[in-house]
Amino acid sequence: MVQYSSADIDAAFGAVADPVRRGILERLGRAEASISELAGFFRMTLTGIKKHVAVLEDVRLITTRKTGRVRTCRLGPRRLEQEAEWIEKHQRLMDASFDRLEAALARSKE
Amino acid sequence: MPEATTRTKITTPAEREIRIERVVKAPRELVWRGYTEPALIAQWWGRGHRLVIERLELERGGHWRWVEHGPHGAYGFEGRYREVTPPTRFVRSFEWDGMPAHVAIETVTLEDLGDGRTRIVILMQMHTPEERDGFLQSGMQQGMDDAFAQLDELVRKR
Repeated sequence: MVQYSSADIDAAFGAVADPVRRGILERLGRAEASISELAGFFRMTLTGIKKHVAVLEDVRLITTRKTGRVRTCRLGPRRLEQEAEWIEKHQRLMDASFDRLEAALARSKE
Repeated sequence: MPEATTRTKITTPAEREIRIERVVKAPRELVWRGYTEPALIAQWWGRGHRLVIERLELERGGHWRWVEHGPHGAYGFEGRYREVTPPTRFVRSFEWDGMPAHVAIETVTLEDLGDGRTRIVILMQMHTPEERDGFLQSGMQQGMDDAFAQLDELVRKR
């Protein structure tokens, strides 16, 4: 069985709870980009975009590397599969509950 | 084979919230009974385990306590009703024995889809992001394998 660290998962959920950060992930999914390119793309200040980048980097969803004065961002080693798998399992559990509800209600009508 | 119903959707709309949505093939009044009549609740809410409805005071301020008896022990869930508006909505506090004194607010809304089906929307609101994760995991810890076996059995019956 997969082991989950709740703090770790929580941090990743928190990281993707913000629409700008989800946008950054989508943008980096197409190609790597510098901080200033991201700032231009999202019409944000460098400081603003750097904060979002730092949050994503903390949970390893992206990595950055500095060459000269340019910091380039790309998708990191971590993917959202663990989170997705976890939600998927919970959905199946709830689905089974609601299936039982449907069956119980159908029986009660008879 | 039954007609396909919408699968359960679980989302985390905010860092302290869990939203669960599912469409069931039953009229709203009946779904309301499924949530409020002990004999019906016991047939589905306990994830396939025996569920004992120790208390169900269905009124504002009323106490509820339901205990699930699984293979690894008994787990109680309890709280008080904040709002009871049949057949559309109830709001209650929700506490699990495994995380005592961590209280969530559960809002259950039943939406009549007009074709004999009902959309159930459950919103769980916690006090902190850590509590949210704890609640999400509470469902996992209680014999996940048993729950999957139950699911398999259900699927085979159809």
